[in-house]
Parts: sequence; structure tokens; C-alpha cells
Amino acid sequence: MLDWSIAIGAGIAFGLGALGTGIAQARIGAAGAGVIAEKPELFGLALVFVALPETLVILGFVVAAIILFVLPTM
Amino acid sequence: MLQKMTKIQVIGPKDDLHSTVDFLYNLGTVHLEDASTTIAPGDTMLRRVQASPKIDIAGALVKVSGMFHLLPTMPVNEALKTQIYEGLRWKNDDELVDEANQVIGELETVTKELATRKSDIEFTLTNLTHYEEVIEKLQPLEAQLPILEGFEVTVILIQREFKDVLEIVRSALVEITHNQFELMSADVDEATTAAVTVFNKRYSDQVHSFIWSQNVNEVRLPPEYLDKPFDQVLTLVDEQRQKSTVEMSAVNEELVELSRNWYPKLSVLKEVLEDRNEELSVFTKFGQTDYTFVMIGWVPQKQLANTKNALKKAFEGRVIVNDLSVSREENYNAPSCYDNPRIVKPFETLSNLIGTPRSGEIEPTLLLALFFPFFFGLMVGDIGYGICILVFALVVRWFYGQRSPTIKQLMNILIICSIPTMFFGYLYGEFFGNLGQMMGWIQPVTIDGVTLDRIKIIVPLIIFTVAIGVFHVFFGLGIGVVNARRRSNQKLVCTRVGMILTLASIIVILLAIVAVVPSILVAPGIVLLVIGLPLVMYGGGIAGAIEVMSTFTNVLSYARLMAIGMASVVLALVANELGSSMGIVLVGLLVAVLLHGLNVVLCMFSPSIQALRLHIVEFYSKFYEGGGRSYDPFKRGTAK
Repeated sequence: MLDWSIAIGAGIAFGLGALGTGIAQARIGAAGAGVIAEKPELFGLALVFVALPETLVILGFVVAAIILFVLPTM
Repeated sequence: MLQKMTKIQVIGPKDDLHSTVDFLYNLGTVHLEDASTTIAPGDTMLRRVQASPKIDIAGALVKVSGMFHLLPTMPVNEALKTQIYEGLRWKNDDELVDEANQVIGELETVTKELATRKSDIEFTLTNLTHYEEVIEKLQPLEAQLPILEGFEVTVILIQREFKDVLEIVRSALVEITHNQFELMSADVDEATTAAVTVFNKRYSDQVHSFIWSQNVNEVRLPPEYLDKPFDQVLTLVDEQRQKSTVEMSAVNEELVELSRNWYPKLSVLKEVLEDRNEELSVFTKFGQTDYTFVMIGWVPQKQLANTKNALKKAFEGRVIVNDLSVSREENYNAPSCYDNPRIVKPFETLSNLIGTPRSGEIEPTLLLALFFPFFFGLMVGDIGYGICILVFALVVRWFYGQRSPTIKQLMNILIICSIPTMFFGYLYGEFFGNLGQMMGWIQPVTIDGVTLDRIKIIVPLIIFTVAIGVFHVFFGLGIGVVNARRRSNQKLVCTRVGMILTLASIIVILLAIVAVVPSILVAPGIVLLVIGLPLVMYGGGIAGAIEVMSTFTNVLSYARLMAIGMASVVLALVANELGSSMGIVLVGLLVAVLLHGLNVVLCMFSPSIQALRLHIVEFYSKFYEGGGRSYDPFKRGTAK
């Protein structure tokens, strides 16, 4: 049976990362929409900018994976 | 890859200037530079060439284009077109303008008259439709209107959101007409309300003046419709519409007849005038002496011999091409011309998202074409999805490829990406998630005792993807060192070498701490850190040291290769589980197909964006400078 603290820890690590990404993406997405309205040719670049903060949730995911799968074996 | 560019100087007798420009325009290999910028003020040897102001090519082009666009499009016999083109192509500017003026003289009056008639009829038809809409809506109110001798009926239109204005109009009418009026309203459509008012004609001027002052849109019916019941007005509107439609058909027939006789000549004349106008527009870029002209430009190395030979043959040696030696700075600012193999070409679309590379720096499209499909396949990794993406891309390319080059290139990228997707699908043993395994068609490949079932090897996959990140970031920094050396920027070389050493030391120390490598390697790691960090700070200052942490985060960012793939495989498993748990086979099948369809669509977007992002943010940032300008040869079809 998985220790509840491990599950909670993994949840917090991933959840806060996702929250941070969401907040950042909301702002970048709004700015990106403004950019595209002015210069539609920058659509591709705006899309990449929107994807930028996903590093946060990816790092959260890595930490969560370490908590879930590596910590119990140590 | 970028082609090596050669700066050339074209010199010839002034008598050959026009024909040389025309020749280069058709050859289409020279990126012209503004030679006039190299002419110093007061320079008596070389002056700027000016196009003759007497020849009004642009004016003729405007008139010919105007007439051309008025005529209905006709299919043109290619042989006839070529014949006309050959007749016009070799005329000099004066002869061409004379020819254009002759055509304009013959056509201008008749086309103007037809255009005016057509425009008037269109205006009448639009007005009639407008009257009809309003009157049809107001017709039910007619019964309530008092029919009185000497009274006037006026219709006004108001946007529904400003309907309150009606009350203001009513109060004003009470005052102006001493309460001798009727005002009724009805909604015409979602946005408009029409109101009809009847008042004594002696207040007409005051009422109209008030309506005008309130900026209210009044429907002014033609005089022949005034003082008539609405049903009669509608009949008149219908009769007028039929009459106008017949007139319009007559005008169109005349235009078709005119087009039948003139369309081929006008289309070719317009094309030749456009070319000649484009040629004249570059004249101010050239320099001249009393007897010679001088052009400066860039030619890709591969086309240099061809350009030289063609000019030599065409002008029998009168026009010569000199290779100019260029400084490092000039070479750095030369136009950039892609020279990629056909299979890499589609990825130029993605590279162009971040601008044009500088001439002389390593152009990363080839590397993008290598790593992008690999990352995409690593993330999606499903034979079934790979087949779906391949079929989708082929179908879209078939239907829309001709219309949009960008769509064609994006679909080519998807086609290329579908191959590693199927390959990794084979490794993971995935065919629409675990469907292949459930049906016994396929199993994950086992390497060194590790079965590549993605769901069961999360941690090894994270380590593998981060290892890819280490390689990719180090590779990028290595290219960055080469680019910095080419620019002779020693500080930048130091920063990038220092970054490689520092990053390597951090990784070695971390691996030693978690006992993946022997702890004896901690000491060499510290030595690397001691050498690397000062180098980074020498080149980039304190910000450089902070950049070390950012670069380390870049490496970890590659874990997304595993995370995005995991999301895709879990959704595929959910589709299969949900589908198989349905009591009715057909419903289960439908649910599974819908979920897999959604997943395939997501797989085409998300992994593409993530793979692109890994390149632009994590990889290119280590070496790419950009800010270059594209090779834009002076050639036919580029007229702006």
C-alpha cells in the first residue's frame, strides 16, 4: 500500500507546477492573441511562447515521478 | 545549410543598361544591392542612375490594370498569349508605352462608360433590396396609418441598441407638429428597427432638419414612390428590379464581348508593363559614369559561373562581372540563401519562424530535420497513430497542397514524422495503445532485459530523455563555440566553452552523489567547475553564472519527451478500456474510435509544438544568432 504522504507529496509537486504553468500560459496566451491580431504571420512563434512555461509542469512531473517511484525504493 | 555567397560587380556600357537589367530580371540569380550607398557625396566619378521621368510606365500600368480588372476573366490560348508576348517583349520603353496608350485610347471611354453604368445599376439594385426589406416589415403597420391629404410619410432606421432615440424623436415631433403626427415602429432584422411617421407636409422641412441633426438614418424613397400605398411601392420596386436586372445583363454581355476581343492582349500587356515597371524601380540602385553603368549584387556560389557565362554570351563580352573581395563584416551581412536537400526543405518553414540565419553561421535546419522527427516519434510512438498521421497528411497534401505551399510543407513534415512514430510504436509494442497487445499482434521489444513498455519504465524513460537533453544541449553549445570562433568573438567562445565545462562538472558531481558513477570522479568534476565557471563569468559576467542554472533547467526540460508521450499512451489506454467495457459492441467501438481520433489530433499538435519548442528554446539558444536577411533575387514574379 502506498504511503499517503508520498501520494500527497507527488500530488503537490505536480499540482503546483501545473498551477504555475496555467497562470503563466493564461497571460502569455492573451498577449499572444494580441500579437496575432496585429501580425498573423507570428502565429507560429506565439504558439511556441505559449508552450514556454510548460517546463514548470514538466519539472513538477519529474519530481512527482521521483517521489512516487524512486523514493519508496531508497 | 547556407550557400556561400559571392559579391559581384556588373559593369557595362550605358547603352546596354536597359537590356542588362532586363536580362538579369529574366535570369533571376542576382540579389541586387544599392550601389548608390557606396557613392560618396560629391563623387564625380560615379553618379546615381535615374530612370527617365518622360516615360510613364507606372501610369500606363495603372490604367491597363484598371481596365483589365473590369473585364470578365477569359481562358487565354497559350499560343496566342506567347505570340502577343513576343510582340511586346522586345519593344523599348517608349514603344511599349505608345502601344499601351493606343490600347488605352481605344478602350478607356467604352470601359469607363460600362463601369459607370454597371456601378449605377448595382447601386440601384442594392437600394431596391433595402427599400423592399424595410417596406415589407412596415406593411402590417400601414392599416393603422391615417390616410390624409397633404400628409407626408417618412421612414427612419435606427440600430436596435439605440431604440431609445425613438422617444426623443416622438417628443420632438409633438413639439414640431403640435401633436399632429403618427409614429410606429417595427424590427427589420436583428440589428435594425424601422419607424414610420406621418405628419403634415407643412412641417416637412423642420422634421427632416431635426432627423438629420440627430444623425438618424432616414430612408429616402425615390419621388415616384412617395404618396403611394406600400403594396404599390413594392410592385414598383419589383418592376424596377426586373428592369435593372435586364440592363445589368446587357452591360455584362457588352463586357464579355469586349473581353473576348481584348482580354488576351490586356493580360499580356499588363504582365509586360509590370515587369518593365519592376525593372525601372531598381534603376536608382545603380551607379553610372559618362559611358558605363555599375551594379552591385550577391550571387550564390553555385550560380556564379552560370550568371557570368550567360551575361558574357548575351552581351558578347561588353558586360563583365567582377568578383569582389569582401570583409568579414560584409560577409556576415550577406543575404542568406538556403541550400538544403529536398527532404530537409519542409523544415525551413519551421526555421523561418525565428527569422533568417546570418550568413556565415551554422544554419540549423538540417539538424532540425534530424532531431524533430526523432523527438516527435519518441513522444507519439504508436504504429496505429503513425499510420493515421501518414494518411491524414497525404490526404490534406493532396487536396490543399497546391493551394497553400505552407500547408504542403507542414504536411510533408507530418509525413516524415510518421515514420519514426511507427518505428517507436514498434519498439513500445503499441498499436492504438495496448490494442495490438490485447489482440496478440505485437509485443514491446526487450533490450538488455528491459521491456520497452512505456507505462512500466517511467523512471528509465525520464533518465533516457534527460540524457538526450544532455547530448542536445552540449551539441548546441559545441555549435555555438564554432559560430563564435567564426565571428572571432573570443568572449563568446570563452562563455560557451565555460558553459560546457560547468555543465559537465555539475552532471558528473550529481551522478557521483547518487552513486551512478564512482565517487572518485567528484574531484575531476570540481576541477572542471573551477575552470569552467570563471570562463563563463569572464565572457558573460554575473548574468553568465545565472545562465548556468538556466542551461541546467534546459537539460531537465527534455523530460517532456517522456511526459507528453505518457499522456498520449494513457489516453489511448483509456480509449481501449472504455470501449471494451461497453455492453454493446457497436457503442464500444464508437467510443474507442472517437477517443483515439481525439488522441491522434492531439498527437499531431502537442508533440509538434513541444519538439519545436525544445529546438527553439533549448537548442537554438546555445548557438543561433539570426537577424540575417533572405536572398531575394531580382527576378520575374516578385513585383510588389
